[in-house]
Amino acid sequence: MRRLAADVVVVGGGSTGAGVVRDAAMRGYTAVLVDRSDLAQGTTGRFHGLLHSGGRYVVSDPGSATECARENAVLSRIQAPAIERTGGLFVSVPGDDPGYGDRFLAGAAATGVPAREIPVAEALRREPRLNRGISRAIEVEDASVDGWQLVWGAVNSARAYGAKVLTYHPVTRIDIADGRVRAVHCHDQRRDEEVVIECAFVLNCAGPWAGRITDLAGLPPVPVIPGRGIMIALNHRVVNTVVNRLIYPTDGDILVPVHTVSVIGTTDVKESDPDHLPIPAAEVQQMLDAGERLIPGFRRARAVHAWAGSRPLIRDDRVAADDTRHMSRGMAVVDHLTRDGVAGLLTIGGGKLTTYRLMAEHIVDAMGDQRGERRPCRTADEEIPYAEGSRHYVVTHRLADREADRLDDQIVCECELMSRRMFTDLLHREPLATLDDLRRQLRLGMGPCQGGFCAGRAAGIAVTERVVDAERATGLLRLFLKNRWIGLWPILYGAQVRQTALDHWLYAGTLDIEHLPTPDQEVVR
Amino acid sequence: MSRAEADRLRQRLNNELQRLTLDECVKCTICEQSCPVAGVTALFSGPKFVGPQAERFRHGASVDLSVDYCSSCGTCTVVCPQGVHVAELNSLARAVLKAERGVPLRDRLITRTTLMGRAMTPVAPVANAVLDNRLARTALEKVVGVHADAPMPTAHPEPLRAWLKRRPAPTRTPTRGPVVFFHGCAGGYFEVEAARCAIEVLEHLGFEVLVPEQGCCGLAEQSNGLFEQATASVRKLVAQLRAPATGVPIVSTAGSCGGMLKHEAHEILGLDDPGLLDVGARTRDISEFLLELHDAGELPLDFARIDLRLPYHQPCQVRSQGIGVPAAELLRLIPGLEVVESDATCCGIAGTYGLKREKYAIAQAVGRPLFELVAATHQGLVACDTETCRWQIAKATGVRTVHPIQFVHQAYGLGRVIAPSAVR
Amino acid sequence: MRDVVVIGAGLAGLTAALRLARAGRSVTLVARGVGGLSLAQGTIDILGYTPERVLRPLDAVAAVPPEHPYAGLGPDAVAAAVTWLRDELGSELLVGDPAVNLHLPTALGALRPTALAQPSMVAADARGGLTYAVVGVRQLKDFPADLVAGNLARSTAPDGGPLGATAAWVDLPARPGEADPSGLTYARSLDDAAFADRFAVAVRDAAGAGDVVLLPGVLGVRPGAGRRLAELIGRPVAEVPLLPPSVPGLRLADALRARVAAAGVRILLGSAVTGFTADGDRVATVTVAAAGGPRALAASDFVYAPGGFESGALAVDSRGAIAETVFGLPLTAADAAGLVGPRYWAPHPLFEVGVRTDAAGRPVAGDKVVHPNLYVAGGILAGPEPWREKSGDGIAVATAVRAAAMIEGGAR
Repeated sequence: MRRLAADVVVVGGGSTGAGVVRDAAMRGYTAVLVDRSDLAQGTTGRFHGLLHSGGRYVVSDPGSATECARENAVLSRIQAPAIERTGGLFVSVPGDDPGYGDRFLAGAAATGVPAREIPVAEALRREPRLNRGISRAIEVEDASVDGWQLVWGAVNSARAYGAKVLTYHPVTRIDIADGRVRAVHCHDQRRDEEVVIECAFVLNCAGPWAGRITDLAGLPPVPVIPGRGIMIALNHRVVNTVVNRLIYPTDGDILVPVHTVSVIGTTDVKESDPDHLPIPAAEVQQMLDAGERLIPGFRRARAVHAWAGSRPLIRDDRVAADDTRHMSRGMAVVDHLTRDGVAGLLTIGGGKLTTYRLMAEHIVDAMGDQRGERRPCRTADEEIPYAEGSRHYVVTHRLADREADRLDDQIVCECELMSRRMFTDLLHREPLATLDDLRRQLRLGMGPCQGGFCAGRAAGIAVTERVVDAERATGLLRLFLKNRWIGLWPILYGAQVRQTALDHWLYAGTLDIEHLPTPDQEVVR
Repeated sequence: MSRAEADRLRQRLNNELQRLTLDECVKCTICEQSCPVAGVTALFSGPKFVGPQAERFRHGASVDLSVDYCSSCGTCTVVCPQGVHVAELNSLARAVLKAERGVPLRDRLITRTTLMGRAMTPVAPVANAVLDNRLARTALEKVVGVHADAPMPTAHPEPLRAWLKRRPAPTRTPTRGPVVFFHGCAGGYFEVEAARCAIEVLEHLGFEVLVPEQGCCGLAEQSNGLFEQATASVRKLVAQLRAPATGVPIVSTAGSCGGMLKHEAHEILGLDDPGLLDVGARTRDISEFLLELHDAGELPLDFARIDLRLPYHQPCQVRSQGIGVPAAELLRLIPGLEVVESDATCCGIAGTYGLKREKYAIAQAVGRPLFELVAATHQGLVACDTETCRWQIAKATGVRTVHPIQFVHQAYGLGRVIAPSAVR
Repeated sequence: MRDVVVIGAGLAGLTAALRLARAGRSVTLVARGVGGLSLAQGTIDILGYTPERVLRPLDAVAAVPPEHPYAGLGPDAVAAAVTWLRDELGSELLVGDPAVNLHLPTALGALRPTALAQPSMVAADARGGLTYAVVGVRQLKDFPADLVAGNLARSTAPDGGPLGATAAWVDLPARPGEADPSGLTYARSLDDAAFADRFAVAVRDAAGAGDVVLLPGVLGVRPGAGRRLAELIGRPVAEVPLLPPSVPGLRLADALRARVAAAGVRILLGSAVTGFTADGDRVATVTVAAAGGPRALAASDFVYAPGGFESGALAVDSRGAIAETVFGLPLTAADAAGLVGPRYWAPHPLFEVGVRTDAAGRPVAGDKVVHPNLYVAGGILAGPEPWREKSGDGIAVATAVRAAAMIEGGAR
């Protein structure tokens, strides 16, 4: 058993937890972030990649619109390499009420969301594949964002301020004595070791899993209702600008160019278990129909992967409706002191990735209030250091990088142009990582072939680099392929069928992966 | 040449099926296996890399200059079992690159094929002397980047049109109806012999041969990324070829230029012009045309013997037309003629690629297997359908290289016996 | 008009075209691109798993269930077809006994059953007590020597005996200044005798303990390089097929294509077949998307060997409808729903969908032959996923030989 001590333990390594641990560390609190798996593996890693301009909310939720517009500007400044300034368009497709555009423009003016109507011809010139029948187009400052880069940036910044980050450390218990939080117990899954972190505060940022954390503290249930949404990534950028329907927000009305793909989203269906989020065939068809309205021919374009994420909505009658001091729009804070008489525990639900920094600011403020102190938040003032410096992401980066180094280095993932050095550098920094963990930071296996050519290479290199042995490498490879399949089979049509057949030919056929010596134990992490 | 032009190009072509075909790629490497350039140099990252792979990363300013090492031979598109228009994707990327960065003077000069022909014809002996002169060639390389050893055309003292005017009118009454003859720039100015032979063979077979005034097809401009100029050229040529008659076959001795009319102008330049599609559908390579007659039982086989072992190379831009190897099949119908087919993908020249200083060595390496085959098998003559390839082969091997139709001409006893070069 | 049009340039199409041209038929072979042979492992599988490991493939062929493509052929026909191919290509390229499987290491270190292999591979056939000296090449990313050796050392030979393996690396660029050559680039360099000698010395000096030196499958584009390497290295050498581009696969493809061309087959590459015209129930022409526009190719008989889902001959649209894309042939299933599911390590019934035929290899709708002059061969046939049971090559060759025989015999 290991013992640690901290002012605050942040539970959950999604965007909220990452923002909170950075904020707390910057305010001088000793902070530990724990997550049951890898960073940004839950909701934050399973969204459409849109950094809202606020446009989506100018009519439906003006407060959110203003917050998004401000935070969009802040994040673009402090986390530039995670963000591509794609710009956005709201367009009326045939059948949409063109009058909504007037409400939209009025709302934008009222909420301070930059928006400008442009001629339809100009929109079609910028995005030639847009439905030629659009009747209005409004330009906004939408951007696309890599949720993983956002979180890793925040977490690395927190580490620089002394925070500790423990992944694959599921919480097993929260000790409460004399009406206040005393310690968090975790299980270090990789070392198979109990870890106890003594602390005065626990900030429960576990999103859809928040109710499970409060259960571990023995508190009355916090009703979390995961709102599932599915997304589908197309093989290439059919648009280079975020394209939104110019209508009251609904399903399937956003198409986001992020990295090399374009992502259509999303749906909203209540679920009971955030660990089991289906990708129903009917919703896939719904997204394809939605895409077809924006981009004629959408169904003939190639889908490479689909995923489902869940919004972490909390419905709790006992949260006073008028207590919005420390609330960002769409966000819910459960103060367990007022609710359950337990000091030092706050549970956070809801929120948007775009406003993750602002939410963190509110939460850490709330913690300060309970502690009876107010240390100022500095997270908006300081740029987060990235290896790439402070230039915004552009999709050509990796092509330019490989143009420069391709004669000196190997390319492991050819679809996403991931070099061997990129892979081995991270591998040595994260020797306990699974291939999926590395994937989320490097985009390994996320292109059209979905790991068909690169996954085996990556596993082989990990052995050659003496980071894992052959048995674990084989297990990691099997796990990676199994996980890719989760997002593949629901969209198995068109060109991806041919790719999948070839991938099976290579793995099951040429490499006979199904008959590698059986592992003593299946690798699951 | 500017960013604005690059943007216009992208907009014009972005919506075309060429770009959409990148979705068909399953990364199988078949295009890489067949790429003649990637096979000889690491400087070119290969058709899969610069094609469907890199295209997913392209937006805004071009960053991958190595796409310029693509020779546009088109092999990748032909071999792709998934229907990716790899070469077309590469051509588009290169055109955008050149629009952004400007095109070197050299590319502008060597693509003006008719201009060069016209300019040189009146002073052909002088021009040829200059082109043969090492000093002058070295100067040419320094000034415009054409490699000093690269093959350059020899202007014919009498252009085809002058011959057409001069010769007596055909005595035979046509029995098979008209065909339009497309000779290309080379047939008009440099390689007049092949064009003359084709006309005489077609007339011998009973066709009325219509030879309209004709300009350049724009292929060289296109493969050097000069899309606007290429578009203007091919549009003009299409009008010229449609002028004499509607619905009749257009028969071509310009192997690669025929490909431009058949598919490249449509698929690479993105031209959807009905006139172009009409011309494309009617265009036949001369060997393809004669073999179709043969398949239909309408080609007289009263060929005189030609006892010769003849290396034959099908140019990449003829192969990319997906017509098989009609010249080889046709030549095999001539008694005594032993055709040795080159299985080389490309001779290296690929239009104008091999003329360029920085690509000359690559082009020579690409052509080496072909040159070796020629050296090992020739008896003084080589056959090949496209003029620039003939110049490349002749220059590299020292063996006289002629159009296949010239052997058909000889076998029908229509006058000239092709003189071999000295056998080394 | 040609006697036969063969559609497809893979193992089945090339085999059918060669057999027919040798029999004196005028043959046009038409394909969208070159076939998949150069993506494959460069051996000839007959049957590797049922799902248990198969030691004697012809015995296993005799026992397949009635809906299997082999069921209508029988072990004798399969043996005859595969033996013909072996003898046609010669012992420089293919050796082995169709009755007995070899068990050859893969580039992940599994032991893959196959019937015929290239002579440069067979020294690795796994038997109890054998030890491998696995040698990787730093420049080749698809042969992870450590992983291969680690997995082989954990494996048991099919005879139940143990295996051993060591791993080592050589660092020898095929072309100066290139860190990431393809296996084919490396193989081209190894066709050069001087480079091959340097390579052999490097391997000899680096290799660890082991009876057989196991190398990446790049030992020359031309067959035969393995022999000289073994002499120089002083130990038996075996090469392991890599992911595409597969050099051993390319050797088979080159050899077969050269024979097809030499036999006078007219080959139209880069020409997708997009449809057909019928004369009654007979296929009259197939429509080819040639440069310049569609062309009709007429023939007396047609062999359709386009591959399966990997080539797009069988396709699934965005609503899940499965179709055969040229002739619209009836398939064993029309809807992908329920044929793909969440389990990855399991059979994928979608990829078992295909065309069923009569005993002559002609597609049937129910019991009725669809087109009396259309024969199918290879991956388009319905049956278990060929890559899982390692049966694709045998099915391709045997059904292509059947199609050719039926056309030669004038089956109507």
